[in-house]
Amino acid sequence: MDAGLFSKLDKKVMNVLKTMNQKISVFLILFGAGYLYLTYNLKEYPYVPIDSDFIPRALGFILIGLAVFLFFDKSSETEEEKKKRTVPKKEILVLIAVGVMIFAYIFLFEMLGFLLTTALFVFFCSWFLGYKNWVSNVLVSIIFPSALYYLFNYLLQIRLPQGILPF
Amino acid sequence: MALDGLLEGFQVAFSLQGILFVLIGVVTGTLIGMMPGLGPISAIAIMIPVTYGMNPSTALVMMAGVYYGAVFGGSTSSILLNAPGISGTVATSFDGYPMAQRGEAGKALAIAAISSFTGGTISVILLMLFAPALAQVAVSFGPPQYFALMFLGLTAIASLSDGSTIKALISATIGFIVATIGIDAQTGTNRFTFGNPNLMEGIDFLVIALGLFALAEVCFLILNRKDRSLSKQSDIGNLRLTKQDFKEMKGPMSRQSFLGFLLGVLPGAGATIASFIGYITEKRLSKKSDEFGKGSIKGLAAPETANNAATSGAFVPLLSLGIPGSGTTAVMLGAFLVLGIQPGPLLVQDHPDVFWGIIASMYIGNVFLLILNLPLIPYIAKILKISRPLLISLVITFSLIGVYSISFSTFDLYLLLAFGLIGYLMRLFSFPAAPFILAFILGGMMEQAFRQALTASGGSMMVFVKDPISISLFVVSLLSFIVPFIRKGKKEEIEEDEEQQYHAN
Repeated sequence: MDAGLFSKLDKKVMNVLKTMNQKISVFLILFGAGYLYLTYNLKEYPYVPIDSDFIPRALGFILIGLAVFLFFDKSSETEEEKKKRTVPKKEILVLIAVGVMIFAYIFLFEMLGFLLTTALFVFFCSWFLGYKNWVSNVLVSIIFPSALYYLFNYLLQIRLPQGILPF
Repeated sequence: MALDGLLEGFQVAFSLQGILFVLIGVVTGTLIGMMPGLGPISAIAIMIPVTYGMNPSTALVMMAGVYYGAVFGGSTSSILLNAPGISGTVATSFDGYPMAQRGEAGKALAIAAISSFTGGTISVILLMLFAPALAQVAVSFGPPQYFALMFLGLTAIASLSDGSTIKALISATIGFIVATIGIDAQTGTNRFTFGNPNLMEGIDFLVIALGLFALAEVCFLILNRKDRSLSKQSDIGNLRLTKQDFKEMKGPMSRQSFLGFLLGVLPGAGATIASFIGYITEKRLSKKSDEFGKGSIKGLAAPETANNAATSGAFVPLLSLGIPGSGTTAVMLGAFLVLGIQPGPLLVQDHPDVFWGIIASMYIGNVFLLILNLPLIPYIAKILKISRPLLISLVITFSLIGVYSISFSTFDLYLLLAFGLIGYLMRLFSFPAAPFILAFILGGMMEQAFRQALTASGGSMMVFVKDPISISLFVVSLLSFIVPFIRKGKKEEIEEDEEQQYHAN
């Protein structure tokens, strides 16, 4: 009885997995087709034995071939791999929020300058992710970018954006 | 010749500057390697911008230090927290963590340090003996042979990586596709740039390495940020080993130094496979195999010796042929190129200071790892107490600065973010990232060799099967590609038979 139940469950899991592999494979086939389309639009030169479109075209076909293999691939994933995919919605929102913070950091990087954006980013990102030690958070957000700025700008001679600050 | 060169190398490594940078490299590598999730790839990539403006030989000596320091650091977090920093130290946690739980963390760390030292030192001697000889053979290589060799590197990593072979191959193909972006070197055609001038020079490898590895790992760090195991700090215990302990370590250390080195030399194998094979062979050889997994000294010494030996082994194809055999050595190759050094058969001739400097620095680095880590273990372990939210924001900032200081363009930073997302999705759906970066690095070189060979032959494909070297390399690639499929098929057959028998009963 138990064994029967397990095999049923197993089959259900396998079906879901199969569709997951198939979904990825469909995406890859579309991606490969788009890439192939681009390779056929590459400029051609008459006297080059192997033109610049040869390898890309081969890669496009290889990718589509491999994606078709993946579509029919029956190998199952391990429990650990499956567990990795079950991410709670709230955590996905956290990931997106950190992504937005990085985006804002890059956007303001050259405008406000390295020191200011990095200090703000380190402070707010750490605070948002749950670092509640205010004092050390403020200290790290000031000391870390300052030390890096000094190291890069003065010791390594790599200019990081100065932004609105005078130094 | 080797001795003269080594002496020159020791002059580089033993200069005050050399010693200082090996030390900085080893310590930084150990610290970064200890952070769960951050392995040698991230460690090397993060350190690349720091080397700008440095003398190439000093810079590379430091990078080599970062590399094996990171491998060692991974073992420390494996033993103390059961949180392997890299896949190469997963086997270390099998017996290391149970020992730590028994209150013998100090002893386990000492065994790891001594085994790493032995594995590292013996394999550096082997590297010194074999790399120049191999480089001499490689001088006679033309484009067809190089193409065949790189092809072998690519197929081997795809078939040897754990998990689905098809997914590894897809990952490698996409890595190669990304490498085709930019102006074609032979005809000057703009390929897949969509008119964007930022893409004309192609995508920098650091964008891909930091995106796929460091940023993708950050996503997992964010998801596991509340995991309490990080702040758990137990007593380290005594570091002293008895005569009996040494006696037990002797066998695995001597065997695994050679085996690990050999596996490291093979393209695609690397530290992970070396450590697992080391663990399995010692378990099979041992009379007390039931002790494995419960805190066996042999079970700890074997993977630790093997992974460090493999690390030096991986330098053989990199230094002598200019071909990386793993994701980590691919990033290392990137570091060489950033510094204007082309590793390969001519490296010994053109830059003996760099070639022998790296080898000499490995001797010194191994000694540093041993003498530094033993007394400093209790203090080093404190780094694991850094709060994860803080660690996450610092790693993100490091990655962004790393990329910015190469190109000074925010476009590359957006690309980095995009590759971070791609890397996260790849991991989520179990596509390995190492074949991607390897194909990205080898791809450009392979295409160039392929087209050079065909240009010389007037377009005849026969050029690839005309001489014995390239034929045998293609045969080995084909075998390395097919054998895992057959093995897998047989395994499934056996499993099916067993299932049928089970149901029949």
